[in-house]
Amino acid sequence: MLLALSALPAHVRLLLQSLTEPQRCASLSEPAWDVLIRAARSARLLGVLAARVAAAVSFDALPEVAGRHLVAGQIEARFRRQKTLFLLETVAPQLGSPETPRVLLKGAAYIVQGLSMAEGRLPADVDLMMPRVALDGIERALLDAGWQFEKTDPYDQHYYRAWSHELPPMRCAGQALELDLHHTILPPLGRLKPDTDGLFAAAVPIVGTSFSALCPGDQVLHAAAHLLQDSDCTGRLRDLVDIDSLVRTHATANPSFWPALLERAHLHHLGRPLWYALALTRAWLATPMPEEVAARIAGFSPPWPARATLCALVTRTLPPVNPDGEPGLWDRLASRLLEARAVWLRLPPWLLAWHAANKAWRAWRPGGAS
Amino acid sequence: MRVAEADRAFLHAQLAGPGLALDFGAARVRIRSDVPELPPMLRALYGGYAIEDPAGLCDVTVKLRRARGLRRWVRPQVELLIDGGIELEPFPRDTPLPLLEWGMNYALATRLCCYLLLHSGVVERHGRAVLLPAAPGSGKSTLTAALALRGFRLLSDEFAVVRFSDGQLQALLRPVALKNESIDVIARFAPGAVIGPRFPKTHKGTVAHLAPAAEHVAARHAPAAPALVVFPRFDPSVGLEIEPVPKARAFARLAVNSFNYEILSPDGFDALGRVVQASTCYQLRYSDLERAVDAIGALLDEAAPASARH
Repeated sequence: MLLALSALPAHVRLLLQSLTEPQRCASLSEPAWDVLIRAARSARLLGVLAARVAAAVSFDALPEVAGRHLVAGQIEARFRRQKTLFLLETVAPQLGSPETPRVLLKGAAYIVQGLSMAEGRLPADVDLMMPRVALDGIERALLDAGWQFEKTDPYDQHYYRAWSHELPPMRCAGQALELDLHHTILPPLGRLKPDTDGLFAAAVPIVGTSFSALCPGDQVLHAAAHLLQDSDCTGRLRDLVDIDSLVRTHATANPSFWPALLERAHLHHLGRPLWYALALTRAWLATPMPEEVAARIAGFSPPWPARATLCALVTRTLPPVNPDGEPGLWDRLASRLLEARAVWLRLPPWLLAWHAANKAWRAWRPGGAS
Repeated sequence: MRVAEADRAFLHAQLAGPGLALDFGAARVRIRSDVPELPPMLRALYGGYAIEDPAGLCDVTVKLRRARGLRRWVRPQVELLIDGGIELEPFPRDTPLPLLEWGMNYALATRLCCYLLLHSGVVERHGRAVLLPAAPGSGKSTLTAALALRGFRLLSDEFAVVRFSDGQLQALLRPVALKNESIDVIARFAPGAVIGPRFPKTHKGTVAHLAPAAEHVAARHAPAAPALVVFPRFDPSVGLEIEPVPKARAFARLAVNSFNYEILSPDGFDALGRVVQASTCYQLRYSDLERAVDAIGALLDEAAPASARH
């Protein structure tokens, strides 16, 4: 087994076990709590852990210090949820005609959809996808309303606009979260090419709001595609927890979820990221999956050398660092290799060379480093 | 065993191994370190604290270590890891204690969201607390230290820790960080005060720490009821000026000076409301420490709860 739970460090097993079987937390020792709270916090999963433990056991039955940090996790999650809703309410008037689709991605979608998996999540930004043709007008309206770009450097601005799937992140005084305006879900020049029109066409309106969300299959595929292709690919266990929760939520609510997911994976050419994501969630979070679905997903499996290498790397990079230690040489090497792979997937070689040359020039030119 | 009674080798072994666990009242911290200068500094400033079981549950774990690579040898630095990650800029190698203190402040301020944390000095007499909130450089720590050296019990020079359940203040007792002229001012004010080594050239100038008195350490689990809020300002052009501050204004000033008021949302609003409701609030301009201390004592006596007034 490439992804055996037993191959993971003790602090990661403890965290995964506490997330999947929170009732067992009632009998954890003080030293185990000490490690668990810190591992959960550094994985940005303290709020999710708190929500799951709260549903299973009373905090009063836990050691006092453990209870107060779980409360702290719940409080921060409540704050971020509130700030997400506040941001959406504030920007809605700037988003143009309500006929233009406003597709919420990731955490903001889970919150507005009212999914129970949103409980305890700690979103740092709000991701909103709108058609590319509409973005210029919306950007102007947002700038007029006081939003500003974090990155004002002309090259950074050009990079995002020419080659990225989103505008540079925007901030606004009085808003705790960043706004990321997307026009698709992956860099348009990258090797993975999802069907953007298909994403918009299948999006599901969220009743009672002017927003919609990706259809269930696309939500899973979006999370799966980012799991192993974002440049910062260390400590991303929370993304895996999201994928597990999405699958459980949608599979329970909708009997046609699995066939639809496979169909969407073919449509977007995202079968391989899906294979990796589900192999990981099944091994580490025991995601339930019907046998016949597992057999069909096996058809997306990468050849074994790629599979073995990637599984060995992510076992080192996805989990949070040991709170009593620090990343070792092999962990750091694994992160570098996965980062290189992520860049390779996102950018064509000519653009990579151009981008690297630009970065080097800007770092070197007198007073140029920004 | 207390830190003062532990020998250097024992402290070093604890710091290098399982950690030195200390209980500050509202939170327990585990300190690890490979910096050889640290044990005597801890003994001087944390001498009155019991050494807790490092295997027990702590709120924060920090590790102070000598930097790796080039920064071990060229203009050497010390780094602070919180829960296995570096979240703060390293400090020069000869200022380990200021980095440890600053890092613990940062870790506590960002992790203790189970309390309302106001940026304020807190002292107490007869169970009734005085809050001294202020921006850095306004003389808050100096005044807090002076009160603690004149019969008030010190709860903290940095954090007012407010419990949601009843609005009571808990101690988060640590050494008081004194800066620049304040160090000599306090040394003259109370010649018996235990002040640790001076660290010149930190980003806040020269820093030294006043050790908390043993009886304050012993009482660190006793809460105190908020009774008086004094916004201090050191002003050499006045002798002593006291002005009442309306409660709504005091509420706003305390809220903007809080570490986590916004994150706590309704819990923060309710807890701060309790503190302000229970307190009389003043602005204090002072140049003479003795007179300021006497004035605060008198204000606290005047601010007796309504039920106790004749």
